[in-house]
Amino acid sequence: MNQNHSKKFGMVIDLDKCTGCGSCMVACMSENNVPFKVDESNKLDSITWMRVYKLTNGKPFPDAEICYLPRPCMQCEGEHGHSPCVSVCPAVATDYDHTTGIVSQIPTRCFGCRYCMAACPYHARYFNWWDPVWPEGMKKSLSPNVSPRMRGVVEKCTFCFHRYQSAMERAYVENRDTLEEEEYQTACTQACPAGAIIFGDLNNEDHAVTKIAQPDHHHGGRPKNPQVFRLLERLGTNPKVYYKSSKEWVRRKGDNYVAGEGKPGKH
Amino acid sequence: MNTTDDKSKHVADGETGAMNLAEDKGLLAVILSFLVGLVISLAIGWVVYPALLYSEQEQPVQFDHDLHMYEVSDGCESCHFFREDGTFAGVPTLAQCMDCHDSALGDTEEELKFVEEYVEQEKEVPWLIYSKQPDCVFFSHAAHVKKAGMSCEECHGPVGTSTSLKTYQENRITGYSRDIWGEDLTGVFKKHSWDSMKMDDCARCHKRETGSKGACFQCHK
Amino acid sequence: MKIDRRSFLALVAGGAVGTALTPLPLKLTDDLSIWTQSFRYMPNEVPVPPDGAVSTAESVCTLCPGGCGISVRKIDNRAVKIEGQEGHPVNHGGICTLGLAGLQLLYGPWRIKKPLKKENGTFKAVSWDQALTDIAGKLNDLRNNDKAATVAGIAGNGNNTTGRLLQRFLTAFGSPNYVTLPSSDDAMALAAGKMLGKSGIPAYDFENSTYVLSFSAGVLDGWGSPVRMFQANSSWKDNGAKLVQVDARLSNTAAKADTWVPIKPGTEAVLALGLANIIIRDGMQAAAIETNSPSFGAFRKLLNEKYSPKDVANATGVDVPKLEKLARAFAKASRPVAICGNGSAQDPVSSLDAMAVLSLNALAGSINRSGGIRLAAAPDYINWPAPELDAVAEKSLDTPRLDGAGTAEYRDAASLPHRLIQKVNSKAQSPVQALFVCDANPVFTLRDSQNVKTAFEKIPLVVSLSAYMDDTAAQADYILPLHSYLERYEDFPTTAGLAKPMVGLARPVIKPVFDTKHPGDVLIALANALGGAVAGAFPWGTYKDCLKETLADNWGTISSKGYLAQSTLATAAEAMAPAGQMDFSALVKLAEAKPQVPELTLIPYDCMRISGGSIGTPPFVIKTVADTVLKKANKKTDVFIEINEVTAKKFKVKDGQSVILETPVGKAQVKINQTEGIANDVIAMPRGLGHAAFDDYLADKGVNINTLVAPVEDPVSGFDVAWGIKAQLTKA
Repeated sequence: MNQNHSKKFGMVIDLDKCTGCGSCMVACMSENNVPFKVDESNKLDSITWMRVYKLTNGKPFPDAEICYLPRPCMQCEGEHGHSPCVSVCPAVATDYDHTTGIVSQIPTRCFGCRYCMAACPYHARYFNWWDPVWPEGMKKSLSPNVSPRMRGVVEKCTFCFHRYQSAMERAYVENRDTLEEEEYQTACTQACPAGAIIFGDLNNEDHAVTKIAQPDHHHGGRPKNPQVFRLLERLGTNPKVYYKSSKEWVRRKGDNYVAGEGKPGKH
Repeated sequence: MNTTDDKSKHVADGETGAMNLAEDKGLLAVILSFLVGLVISLAIGWVVYPALLYSEQEQPVQFDHDLHMYEVSDGCESCHFFREDGTFAGVPTLAQCMDCHDSALGDTEEELKFVEEYVEQEKEVPWLIYSKQPDCVFFSHAAHVKKAGMSCEECHGPVGTSTSLKTYQENRITGYSRDIWGEDLTGVFKKHSWDSMKMDDCARCHKRETGSKGACFQCHK
Repeated sequence: MKIDRRSFLALVAGGAVGTALTPLPLKLTDDLSIWTQSFRYMPNEVPVPPDGAVSTAESVCTLCPGGCGISVRKIDNRAVKIEGQEGHPVNHGGICTLGLAGLQLLYGPWRIKKPLKKENGTFKAVSWDQALTDIAGKLNDLRNNDKAATVAGIAGNGNNTTGRLLQRFLTAFGSPNYVTLPSSDDAMALAAGKMLGKSGIPAYDFENSTYVLSFSAGVLDGWGSPVRMFQANSSWKDNGAKLVQVDARLSNTAAKADTWVPIKPGTEAVLALGLANIIIRDGMQAAAIETNSPSFGAFRKLLNEKYSPKDVANATGVDVPKLEKLARAFAKASRPVAICGNGSAQDPVSSLDAMAVLSLNALAGSINRSGGIRLAAAPDYINWPAPELDAVAEKSLDTPRLDGAGTAEYRDAASLPHRLIQKVNSKAQSPVQALFVCDANPVFTLRDSQNVKTAFEKIPLVVSLSAYMDDTAAQADYILPLHSYLERYEDFPTTAGLAKPMVGLARPVIKPVFDTKHPGDVLIALANALGGAVAGAFPWGTYKDCLKETLADNWGTISSKGYLAQSTLATAAEAMAPAGQMDFSALVKLAEAKPQVPELTLIPYDCMRISGGSIGTPPFVIKTVADTVLKKANKKTDVFIEINEVTAKKFKVKDGQSVILETPVGKAQVKINQTEGIANDVIAMPRGLGHAAFDDYLADKGVNINTLVAPVEDPVSGFDVAWGIKAQLTKA
């Protein structure tokens, strides 16, 4: 690409503000032609690119606490683009884009071996066990910007890459080749009524996401902000989704700590 | 010990005279068979298969690009324009045509057909699009025309100077236009930049111009 | 020539070499690989949807009372995405789950596509003309037989032109029985009227509050205008304001609050009065409070006698130190506010709750103050001349209302739908001979649903004006299909606790998909079919003419901006008594007796992932519901009730077990979700499940909690203010 600086799109989700309402999930489904079935109560085959998990502190009433944690695709960079899923795909149906930092998933290329699902430590990838079926007339609500997926392929969150493409197209006809921060925002970010999701370019110091997460690019993007953490940091997947919480028990839940281990946040 | 050898020796000993003639004949048959196979398969591969592979369809109305280019002020973009949001409008809608053709202009047979069958009935013309990419492909006209400054001809060829629309050929297996693969089925003898528009063609140019073939999402959705 | 083995092999070899020298192998492989990648060979082919020109259309979401601005993305004439409208004063670009899934309501199979008539228990399509002629004929029969007053109408939105047109229709026809669904605003307005001399709609300045004390109000579970509340909560987090949630359950609101104060359900008012007692005892009340007035004296005396911290701790389950701390924190905060309204507050709160909370706000000086509560005038812009009545209507309108609202017994209520149902069921022959239901789903939303259903079955003619095949439409004799909210104009007065009430205007974003009409146009057509004075009451050609005329000079602003801010509406009700002179006597009278809490209480809970109101939860939203709430097993989709470990042990039930939940009005089989986020001896069950109608995606999932809860009449307002109910748990 003729772009001067490569971008690294990422997210900070403020778990203190997230109320678990689920708007991000619905915004994502509606934006990305995600299919739905009559019964979606079996969460093992329910496709939700963005999924809100409920964390509990495990204490009995009345000391119980709940925290919600939205989980999109982490768009792992690993080391130099070796994301866990990209490394194992035998079909080159998923790749790491060094110009945007986004991990792709090409349904027409995928043949459904599901290695990537096994490799993904975040359960961010979903398999289409059935062809999508929309009730009569509802296909009208489908977006032309995202391909519907067929039975037998894997799908996942794309950070609404088509929105980036659309924003770039508009910029080009306006004789620009750079975007303002607000021009490219994912559907979940835009919808979040609590403003808990912040999205932007982690390589751009002016973007809110960079200011909050303070990623240390020399150390695999680790956050310098002590309230910010990433899921399963110690796996070295170098995810681009950061979480912010003022509560220590929440930050501890973010990684697989064993009993008696020291405080999180010290790397 | 070696029964096979013994047997073949025995056969050879007994029928040496007859063998020469039979061998010549046999060889000829083999060569002939080979040639027949070769010719048939070549014919199938070069003539029959291409003929069977593509179905042919004429455009619903003939169109003279050359004539229209004289009438408009802004070249191709007069009719094939960019929308404000950066998307490309592609083939004009009936409403656009009707800006000028709300009634017949001239009395050619095609013009009358266009006015009677489409304008008067307010029916969109089902144009067959030669350069239509598979629907899972994201192609940004803005990136190529506005950003990279490419001309329309580089991908579409000299359409602007054509006086009629050629027959549309559709691949029966894939459903795509023949122009994607190109006229040349070998895919080797590409003379012009617009001769074919497969993924490899995109990748080659991207590699040359930007230094990278680009990531999957750049073109696939 | 004989083809022997060798020449055959040569033929094949020749063929192979020849084939290799043609483009066939490469081309065929390529084509086949493309073929396998496309949907083309699938029985239900799903190609990438057609592209086209992108445009956006703005409107107002009317799925809940919140009144958010929406921006609908369109591809040519298809609507493909709903987003929050940037810069809209209610939601500033945010949007909730239900609003986002609105296109599934628009295009879904639960839409009613043409007028339907029920014959022998099944619906048959009829033409609009026939449906209207049939209904007009039946109405005329009633009118000619002196039974005009046996016609009733229930409007989902009683305050806008659609509801008011139904009222006008009934009035001109000769029936006083126009029934609206009472809201939390109504209860609060009534309480304010009793205490401050003038009623007004509560308007909360949350954006400037520093301490929010919520008595079971689902601030983050759909209360008020939901998106606005989420944004307010985020601003509290940013600027250090505190949210304290009094709640029997660790709701999402309690989870995000700075402090969760678990409480026995139904004792919120007791807690509020206990806090009031501590504030007064320690002289922490606002300086403006006139402590010498007799009513304040009586209030202080009552609190002293019956609401001592110890008594309150016993009744509510909140211990004394916590009470003291809470009272102090509330009274000492710079701009505190107390709120009530159970869950999403779609139903009225009890007068005791409303008055107790108002008194707390008065003591903290939070009435008519920045960050506090203000009593605003309801948007008032519908000023039609009264319809000219003919002799039949004149006479018939003297009949008292069937629900008793406005009579000596229920002086303060405008409508009492639960009483209408009771009235129908109390007589052998239904006193309601024809019932119109417009944009409402009372069969689902009114409590003791079995009773409601029985009443509907008794009414000889039920006409449902609905866009969706909801539970009420399924009970109707005629369904007149309406435009969905995305296909029609509609004024939408929005209060919902907004600091500045406004009127929104929903505008059609796409052309109607089916053979549907606007409810206003249906009523105009029906009036014209009846003729005479009824037709005369509707001088408008179309609903849009009526709407334009109603909004008059404001039409230009509202149709371009989408809303009218309060400044352009009637001025606020500022004529009330100063908060310092609050009259506590009504509250004192109510608070003499403390509410009783049963041994085991079932309470509903609201959340953003289940629509608890008349609108069914669309597939995308029901998909977000956790498998600890709803789970299919053995062809049945069970709802889970929440209880904690202590309660589970006490009633000898286990996590995941199937149990029978029984209340005085009904029973249901449910499953146990043992969780620590709920108080002892409380069962919580989601509200909004168990629809009988709609479609496969929603019907028969879980249980409608309204089948288990009986109405509880408020002694002051007469509204049904039921929340919890006594329950029993037994193993299935």
